[in-house]
Amino acid sequence: MSTIDYSVEERLVHGDRSLKQIDDAIVNPLDAKPNIKYILALGLTVTMLMIGAASLGWTFYKGIGVWGNNNPVGWAFDIVNFVFWIGIGHAGTLISAILFLFRQRWRNGIARFAEAMTIFAVMTALIFPIIHTGRPWVAAVYLLPYPNQHSVWVNFISPLLWDVFAVSTYFTVSFIFWYIGLIPDFATMRDRTTSKIKKVIFSVLSLGWRFSNRHWQHYEMLYLILAGLSTPLVLSVHTVVSFDFAVSVIPGWHTTIFPPYFVAGAIFSGFAMVQNALIVIRKIFEIEDLIPLKTLETMNKIILVTGTMVGYAYGMEFFIAWYSGNQLETFTFINRAFGPYAWAYWIMVSCNVLSPQFFWFKKLRTSIPFMFVIAVFVNVGMWFERFVIIVTSLSRDYLPSSWAYYRPTMFDFGLLIGSFGLFFTLVLLFAKNLPAISIAEIKSVSEGAQPSHHGESNHSANGTHGDGHNG
Amino acid sequence: MSSKMNNYVRKNLPAGLSKWGFILLGVGLVMAVIAYNNNPLRASFASLIGFMFLLSIGLGSLFLVALEYLAGATWSVPFIRIAEILSTLVIIAPILAIPVLLNMHDMYEWTNKAVVDASHALTQKKAYLDINFFYIRFVSIISLLGLFYYIFTKNSLKQDITGDQKLTTFNVKLSALFMPVFAIGLSLLAIDFMMSLEPKWFSTIYGVYYFAGSFWVAIALITLFAVNFNEKGLLGTGINKDHYYSLGALMFAFTAFWTYIAFSQFMLIWYANLPEETFWFIPRMTGGWGVISIGLIVTHFVVPFFMLIQRPSKTNPSRLKLVATMVLAFHIYDLYWLIYPTYSRIQSVKQNDASLISSPFFGWIEISYIILALGILLTVFSFVGKGKNLIPIGDPKLKRAMDFHL
Repeated sequence: MSTIDYSVEERLVHGDRSLKQIDDAIVNPLDAKPNIKYILALGLTVTMLMIGAASLGWTFYKGIGVWGNNNPVGWAFDIVNFVFWIGIGHAGTLISAILFLFRQRWRNGIARFAEAMTIFAVMTALIFPIIHTGRPWVAAVYLLPYPNQHSVWVNFISPLLWDVFAVSTYFTVSFIFWYIGLIPDFATMRDRTTSKIKKVIFSVLSLGWRFSNRHWQHYEMLYLILAGLSTPLVLSVHTVVSFDFAVSVIPGWHTTIFPPYFVAGAIFSGFAMVQNALIVIRKIFEIEDLIPLKTLETMNKIILVTGTMVGYAYGMEFFIAWYSGNQLETFTFINRAFGPYAWAYWIMVSCNVLSPQFFWFKKLRTSIPFMFVIAVFVNVGMWFERFVIIVTSLSRDYLPSSWAYYRPTMFDFGLLIGSFGLFFTLVLLFAKNLPAISIAEIKSVSEGAQPSHHGESNHSANGTHGDGHNG
Repeated sequence: MSSKMNNYVRKNLPAGLSKWGFILLGVGLVMAVIAYNNNPLRASFASLIGFMFLLSIGLGSLFLVALEYLAGATWSVPFIRIAEILSTLVIIAPILAIPVLLNMHDMYEWTNKAVVDASHALTQKKAYLDINFFYIRFVSIISLLGLFYYIFTKNSLKQDITGDQKLTTFNVKLSALFMPVFAIGLSLLAIDFMMSLEPKWFSTIYGVYYFAGSFWVAIALITLFAVNFNEKGLLGTGINKDHYYSLGALMFAFTAFWTYIAFSQFMLIWYANLPEETFWFIPRMTGGWGVISIGLIVTHFVVPFFMLIQRPSKTNPSRLKLVATMVLAFHIYDLYWLIYPTYSRIQSVKQNDASLISSPFFGWIEISYIILALGILLTVFSFVGKGKNLIPIGDPKLKRAMDFHL
């Protein structure tokens, strides 16, 4: 291995595709007939979705008695899944909005896809509170405040209501942000397509985009504003989700570090999910040069950082539980680590804190099979984190006589599987029908698009380092 | 491979820096000694503010140095030498901890055996809040961080001469080791010196809170020096508007971040309304301290937030200098808000007057230690920075960094 040359910026896109070839690489697979691999994958996810639908149908028919929830554990898989999926969404906004504000241009290749995953993750998450209302067809009436004849209002002091506001605002802004980014690509597809129906659809969706200078100016301004709006929104969403627990007085839930810790955890799991999906997508569509290994490596570094932050929060929580001298807190944490749910706690710690530490080593964080496995571990760990927080605190609460062990039933698992089915079905449909990589944005980081410094004399020495293909 | 920047001409630091440093140091020292003789307990509290203030700057600057290596950032390279010089404060700041250590018995309840034995909560944490263990933590954290400071800066200075890229690679690896030490060290220092002033109180976010303020003030000070030096032509060919913008944006971001952390801490404790936690906020929400708390929101959040929110203000050097100077003052304000209610409590117990618990104490004693801290800051900067290149001329990323554009 040669030493690193820090004086040269690494290329963000490899290969030497021309701009036209970039169009082809991204759009052609969308026009091609789906191959057998795609159909098999879709078949699998739809089957999972059906399992979820069946479990849900049975739940509606029989009532939530079919779930494993018992007396102290009134909240279990339903809210675990909700928090898990909301968390998954965070990576998308971080990549598309926050990294955009930070001018991290390596994000250009993955922003579209990550943002789409945000939207699907939020949609998946929303299923759980909506079925929770008992009558999902009137959920909007139950959840939103509006003046009515009965003078019945939602409970404004409940953080669950703040969730409604935070998540719905977040979803709206994310959706607009995603759509705005798609407009130039819709126009590209409109110009390329041969199908008459698609032409009409793309013409409508592209809002008359003609790639004019003035269009770009408006576009860039709007994109920046939406990125600026999304940034506080994404932080607020998981903050409010953490409030669901932290404002209560349940030991193990009420702790001040929850907001930043939940946000870090959300980004952590979201990045792992995006990384997993990208590895598959870049392989299927043969766009490894547009999403180079370097991008995945950088994502792994973020997984490492956020995972370690989460580790800091675990440690701090445990320390302060003891330091507080509060018996209930101390008991809760000892109970987590050594009680009946110790297995879940140690799965959480080893998946979330230990497994990302392998990414300190360059060899490991640039090995695709290895990083894939680690990211799966991370998602398992982050699901278990919510499980540990919610279930362990409830199953042994203030009244020892009513302590009970929570055991999920097959319907709980069915809903969990169904949520994955819904998410990946949406991801697959998206990847086949819309450009998964932003055509406009990837062009801005491909060779030839960078502002050139070659006119200045003191840069001539660097010219030879420009194209470093590493094998 | 050598990639040294050859057209850099080293210039002396502005003469005013060491002059003002000496004046403030001299005046501060005299006042501080008088103050200490006059009222050792109060002077120790004031000195604690000075200590935590200088420590914030040192820790925040050292963090920026390590962060730049770890993230491979280029934009901050032209002023990383300023951060390196400022991070010397990590090992200098403990001077101001001496009065605190001498008066621990009066400042920290947990050092009093009778008080500890009478309280279940304090007996529980006896193993941690123990004088010897306190000293062990303090000395080992400062010396570990000092060691990192020493190696980082030594390599960086060596690179000025050799331009060896391997030194960067080494420092990158060192930064990875540094981060956990930094996170744990900073949190424990904040808990030990400030949170344990009210030993029964606890908050898991406390370390993050102190970090937010520390990085904020470090960025502000680096901005202040960078803008001033750049205007005097001390930063080589000069940094541009986009560097200013980035500094301003980072200062803005950490204004928001601190607010987020402070709000989270307050809101969760206020909402849950548990007496074992709220007793920390209640004196701060009543009487004179109530006014100070409102003032904290205004100064630490509203003013810098709105002064920096617009794009032109982040590239305007005079606006940046103004906000950065205010940030220094506001951070001291924050530390005062964190530390001094304990002094009010001690006074109210001593004088048997319950109303004193919500009365802030502020006077020449506090001012003298703030002057002393500023004197130490400027003197350390002029002393350490003397004869050094103010930009890291051997840094391989420097050329890209000077050309940095958003």
